[in-house]
Amino acid sequence: MAESNLVDILAVFPDLEPAADAIEHLRSLGVHDDCMNVISGIPVTEAMLGRPSQWTNVPRIALGGALLGFGAGVFLAFVSPYLYPYPIQVSTQAFIPGAPTVVVLFELTMLGMLLSTFLGVFLDSFFPNYRPMKYVPEVSDGKICILVECSYVEEKKIMDALKKLGAESVKPAEAQHL
Amino acid sequence: MAEHNKHTDHAEAHFREKHLMLDPLPRGQMNEMVMESMHTTSWKFWVVFAGLSVVVAYGLFYSWGVMIAEGLGVAGVNRPSYWGIFLVNTVFWIGISHAGTFISAILRVFKAEFRRPFTRAAELMTTFGLIQAGFSILMHMGRVWLSYWLMPYPNQRMLWPNLHSPLTWDLLAITTYLLSSTMYLFLPLIPDVAMARDRSSGWRKTFYKILALGFRGTEGEWTHLRNAMNIFAFAIIPVMFSVHTIVSWDFAAATRPGWNSTIFGPYFVVGALHSGMGAVVMVLVVVRGTMKNMKYFIRPEHFEAIGRLMLIISMTWAYFFFNDYMVQWYGGDKWTKQLLHFHEAGPMGWMWFVMLIFNVAIPWAVLWNARWRATPWIVFSVGLLINVGMWFERYIIIPVSLSINRMPFTWRLYQPGIEIPLGIGTLAFFILLYMTASKLIPLIPVWEVQEGQMAHELKKFGRETVVTVSELE
Repeated sequence: MAESNLVDILAVFPDLEPAADAIEHLRSLGVHDDCMNVISGIPVTEAMLGRPSQWTNVPRIALGGALLGFGAGVFLAFVSPYLYPYPIQVSTQAFIPGAPTVVVLFELTMLGMLLSTFLGVFLDSFFPNYRPMKYVPEVSDGKICILVECSYVEEKKIMDALKKLGAESVKPAEAQHL
Repeated sequence: MAEHNKHTDHAEAHFREKHLMLDPLPRGQMNEMVMESMHTTSWKFWVVFAGLSVVVAYGLFYSWGVMIAEGLGVAGVNRPSYWGIFLVNTVFWIGISHAGTFISAILRVFKAEFRRPFTRAAELMTTFGLIQAGFSILMHMGRVWLSYWLMPYPNQRMLWPNLHSPLTWDLLAITTYLLSSTMYLFLPLIPDVAMARDRSSGWRKTFYKILALGFRGTEGEWTHLRNAMNIFAFAIIPVMFSVHTIVSWDFAAATRPGWNSTIFGPYFVVGALHSGMGAVVMVLVVVRGTMKNMKYFIRPEHFEAIGRLMLIISMTWAYFFFNDYMVQWYGGDKWTKQLLHFHEAGPMGWMWFVMLIFNVAIPWAVLWNARWRATPWIVFSVGLLINVGMWFERYIIIPVSLSINRMPFTWRLYQPGIEIPLGIGTLAFFILLYMTASKLIPLIPVWEVQEGQMAHELKKFGRETVVTVSELE
């Protein structure tokens, strides 16, 4: 019920400076950092905009994938030779050779890590996502867009403030097909 | 004073003309330029495209069909050279694929700014080169329909791949590298296809919408993407080194004269970079010369920088070549000495000398000069000769070295058969894939260029104007 009182506002800024100023001002107006999101056409760091650090699971997912890959390597190198009905011992060669095992473990660990890093981006960013979303195409032209979530009663106050702070356009955000 | 200001203005104008990073355009304009380069296609493009399609249809698919129907007998591989052009091409294409990772990952890790406009052009070479390498291995196998036997999976025969064999390591390494490089190509592409999505209509809009995955450029999306690209940039470098090292072990792990060398790993890696950099420069010259608006993004400064790398790599290759040669020659083994003599003075001796001229003499003679290496047609020519030289190097290592062995009654010079149309087919297919990609995906990573342009500025130290770069990350 409370959610229906919330509205989203999209403000488009021409550059980083006014966007950073606007974020600071929004904070002084009582808008919490969690209620703001910045959309940009280049990777703008949190420090540039004075925003809190973004959490990402990608490194942890990558580590998990590396462990899984290592496990697959252990299976291939140490277990698969025993899966023959009559394990094959060739002359005096080691049954589980040392150096070749390192190669197998390395390749599969790296494969696991890189695959999971890639999947991590999908999981953390909820990709693919083809539902309608709040967005303005000007972002890919280099504009900086601030998406603000606020209560219905504060909408006008925040829109006016954003306009005063140099926003090129300020409008209620509507989800649209990208 | 006025004279000094005029001089400073002139110096700044010169810097801006010379360096892409100091010559920024509005992002929207750069987007339009890249989109226009994809949409503008002349009749010459279609003529070349049609010609290459015919070559691929005949050289790759028809000839391969003939080989599948008739058997490996239509190829020239026979005793004693059971490894021929198929494996020469495999090593060659894996080598070409190294340039993408080198330029994109190593230069990214070391923050070499000149890389920015052409990382994608190089990454595409990696993926498309590895596809040709994969084709060449499958051709070499002959009974290609049984290639799945290499995969480790529980089966009715209760057999598992022999993980003691360098050939199985090849499968693991090339698969890892192909998957990783494709993912590494795709991740930085997402923001650019999102840009293309915002500017397209019709089937292109649908195509880019699917590829962009719903990317908007939120803080979270950039953070995940940047983290992933950093992990990839660091992790793919050892994978790249491992791939060509393992390819070299296919040879070095055998107790054959000429192959059994401990230096083959790094020697092959440097050789791969040598041919790969040569191929990158060729691609960039063609892209710059044939695609609209590319002269803004790819400038002589880029050829100059790549030319410098090519010169260093050529020197490193020469060092490894000499090291390998010297130790084998000094060892005094009868069969090894005979092989070295056969390389230089045998029927294929001309190839050995051409290899050295193309890989060492010409690059050293040309690339030391900054003006020459900044001239597109000159670096293109050097890149082409290096690639011919490196192909010859692999030909000498594989079929020429196999022509003589410890059993003189089997000596026979390798005569390629159907390998020739198949090899030409893979080359044509590589170019065809590249041409197709150049019309479908933005070859220039616009967001990376803009990010670089934000970081660069001119600064005055006393009376001198210099380029400075800020650390944005």
